[in-house]
Amino acid sequence: MTALLQLEAVSVAIGTVPLLDGIGLSLERGRILGLVGESGSGKSLTAMAAMGLLPLIGGRVTGGAVRFDGQDIGAMTDAQRRALRGGRIGFVTQNPMTALDPVQRIGEQVDVVSRLHLGLSHRAARARTLELLTRLRIPEAEAVAEAWPHQLSGGMKQRIVIAMALAGEPELIIADEPTTALDVTVQAQIIQILGALVRDRGLALLLITHDMGVVAQVCDRVAVLYAGRLAEEGPVGPIFAAPAHPYTAALIGCIPQDGMAKGALRGIPGAVPSALAFPPGCRFHPRCPRASDLCHRIAPLPTPRAEGRVACHHASPPPEGQP
Amino acid sequence: MTPPPLIRIEGLSKRFQSGGGLFAPERKMWAVRDLSLAIGRGEALGVVGESGCGKSTLARLVLRLIEPTAGRIIFDGTEITALSPAALRRMRRRMAMVFQDPYSSLDPRYTVTQVLAEPFRIQRQPLPAGAIAALLASVGLPDALAESHPHQLSGGQRQRVGIARALALHPEFVVLDEPTASLDVSIQAQIIALLADLRDRMGLTYLFISHDLGLVRYFCQRIVVMYLGAVVEVLPDTAAAPRHPYTEALMQSGFAPDPGRRRSVVPLTGEIPSPFALPPGCAFAGRCPRVTDRCRAERPLLSGDGGHPVACFHPL
Repeated sequence: MTALLQLEAVSVAIGTVPLLDGIGLSLERGRILGLVGESGSGKSLTAMAAMGLLPLIGGRVTGGAVRFDGQDIGAMTDAQRRALRGGRIGFVTQNPMTALDPVQRIGEQVDVVSRLHLGLSHRAARARTLELLTRLRIPEAEAVAEAWPHQLSGGMKQRIVIAMALAGEPELIIADEPTTALDVTVQAQIIQILGALVRDRGLALLLITHDMGVVAQVCDRVAVLYAGRLAEEGPVGPIFAAPAHPYTAALIGCIPQDGMAKGALRGIPGAVPSALAFPPGCRFHPRCPRASDLCHRIAPLPTPRAEGRVACHHASPPPEGQP
Repeated sequence: MTPPPLIRIEGLSKRFQSGGGLFAPERKMWAVRDLSLAIGRGEALGVVGESGCGKSTLARLVLRLIEPTAGRIIFDGTEITALSPAALRRMRRRMAMVFQDPYSSLDPRYTVTQVLAEPFRIQRQPLPAGAIAALLASVGLPDALAESHPHQLSGGQRQRVGIARALALHPEFVVLDEPTASLDVSIQAQIIALLADLRDRMGLTYLFISHDLGLVRYFCQRIVVMYLGAVVEVLPDTAAAPRHPYTEALMQSGFAPDPGRRRSVVPLTGEIPSPFALPPGCAFAGRCPRVTDRCRAERPLLSGDGGHPVACFHPL
């Protein structure tokens, strides 16, 4: 099966500062790929690259290619890319409070997507909007469509943003931290809605998050980024059972769990380096418990491991009985 | 015999109102309703709940940063809700607060040294030689940052400065209001480890406010669960099974980092109702899977049962 979204060794720079270095990812229809890492690891930039939005922030692809359904996004015209975004690619932002226009009624904001991308009439677009709101389990859809954004709760607003992303009949949804701004009980609802959309409609979902718990809950595969490079990528089962990269293991270890001994939660020492001062060799080595002389000098390349890839000189060996 | 608690809170309530002017009708809400608690010396008491549950209001009330509408707070035998401003200021040496947002809780024009010297200035105490260096060392920051401004620091470093400032006058009691909510998980874990070390080293008593039940269960000994201004349950220890349906839902809403333990059911539907328009009965009735007619008509009160109080007519 060919991938719907494919990043082939994509490198990105803003101005003269290189930020992403050779990111390779692939996402098929009906699958959820989690993109994780701390702030500053390049998650949102990867999403911007996937949508061809880099020029907005003064960035450009300096190497590799982004392919959507086989086509190179970099070779498209601006008009083609605009048609793609909001159409075949839907986007869900982190903060539903700022994603909606405060002086436009909810219904109009959702209507405009299907009018623009599917060419629907006002009346047909509104019918579609109400159908979407109902499907997202928004009670009293007609009243909500007439409401203003400030009248809705955070969880309700995030559902509206998801409805807007769905309105153009997308095949791919890119969701950037879609639950971070929400209450815990509402987070669980939104994650379930996104998971159901992928299962029932065969969408592909690129889910950006810093929460390994969310990844474990819904994703099929996970890609771990660190300081603009891919650290590890593969199916969630093997990666959570036996993370090969020390950074992946450390990220999982940052989540407090039932039965964890007091003092077991230590975090990752230090912080993600600034793009202006990436260390030589493996960029994780200043924070890594396994760092050796080799790591200070030479950047590890992603190598295959257990249906995935890992970029580490000292990757954990796979558990018994696995390749 | 158990030692007397460091803090005792009795029947604490806080009412806010909005509007009432020319353009908006007056609306009132209880941010905290009739709350009673005791915090033992050396204890880390967790308060957990979602937005609007009153946990940040509680944090401010306990230190009397805002005035309660009703109720008393007794700190080590002294009723701080009855103190004069001058006496309250003297008492405040013994208590401190770490704020949620290290970006807005540090003055951007101050250097780190000035931030850490401010508590001494306000309390009119001489700044001991080497105090700044010792404070920086106690929170794991290098001396080299002493002359930096907040914008030159990372989020984690800023929160360490916020903690150092809280510890400047060697308080006994520290209120931690979501101290890691705006940080990356990796940095959150660093800060939690630091707070645990400081508690052990300095014998601190903590009131730890958080929306993250997993984090509270890791860090605290006892856990107070709040919903819309009221305590719905007090878990006597971190291993206690929940008795209130809301606590159970909170526990099921956290995602374990284990793909083998996926859940297919969403524990709760609906969202938190507006505190300005609370239903007459149990505030949780509209979202509760165990709701009956009685819950919609009558408000359940917190009743202690085997040291595990719960406010529910149909506890688990």
